[in-house]
Amino acid sequence: MKDFLLALICSMAITLIIAVNHSAAGQAEGKGIYDSKKCGDCHLTAGPNTDKTFAWLKNPKPIRQMEYNSIEKKNSGNHSKLSDKEAGDVTAYLMTLKSKDVAEGVIIDGKPNIQGKLVFEKKQCCYGCHSYPKSGKVSGGLSAPSLVDAGKRLQGDWIYAYLKNPKSLIPVKRMPTYAGILNDNDMKNVAQYVTTFK
Amino acid sequence: MIKRIIVVTLVLFLVTMFGISKSLAASAEENYKWYCSQCHGLKGDGKGINATPDQPVNPKNHTDAKEMAKLSTSDVENVIRDGGAATSKSTMMPPWGKSMTDAEIKELVPYLSKLCNCKFK
Repeated sequence: MKDFLLALICSMAITLIIAVNHSAAGQAEGKGIYDSKKCGDCHLTAGPNTDKTFAWLKNPKPIRQMEYNSIEKKNSGNHSKLSDKEAGDVTAYLMTLKSKDVAEGVIIDGKPNIQGKLVFEKKQCCYGCHSYPKSGKVSGGLSAPSLVDAGKRLQGDWIYAYLKNPKSLIPVKRMPTYAGILNDNDMKNVAQYVTTFK
Repeated sequence: MIKRIIVVTLVLFLVTMFGISKSLAASAEENYKWYCSQCHGLKGDGKGINATPDQPVNPKNHTDAKEMAKLSTSDVENVIRDGGAATSKSTMMPPWGKSMTDAEIKELVPYLSKLCNCKFK
């Protein structure tokens, strides 16, 4: 019985060491790939990220119709495509990044929100610039990032933080500042509504 | 002599500061290109990239003198600052009052007047 317990503890310890080493190695390798591919030339590294990043990195499809901060040049869609291993490592690294501006656990992702829909479609017409799924079709403007599939790649907490202070997360210029225009509940509702786009 | 040096220094300082503050504020043309043109078009003809066929209303054509002349200066300032919702127009027009200063919004009025080649009421 004693031997059995000892063997069990040893095997658990070994499993733990392997698991810790594996995740730490993935993160370090991910950072190496991130640096060598110069991802930081376009992306801020202090921002929040999602656990849906892995699939996107393997098969990157443009989220913006137009080039960043441009309304004249189309997005050429030439984002680096990563292998399974690379995408896993880079995702592990990205998941270690946190933003002080994003409070966690405020928005429940994917939960329907009628008030948010009203803000999005009536009160501020977000679709004027953002395309989104409407009655099975893609509808809306082209100057802003597409929100089709937004629920698969964005966290509601991030959207809420972005609405409160867009410039703290992305140095984007064309998005109107809604702080002081939409109230806090409106921002929370619309953030939750956007996470239902899947 | 010292008095003269002080006065000259002060004048130079003020002129430099005025120049710096002027260059820091975006010009009306720059603001139009950043904010308005995404819907109203770079030429102001209402054919911006957001004017897709499925949008419920078309962005206003800022080169249409007849339509634009119906507006007053305060109509123009109000709709830019508070958006369509606050001015009984379509909410497709967003509020830019937290993105531009009041001075920048006022400077857009003569720029729009130039685009439509008309005067506001």
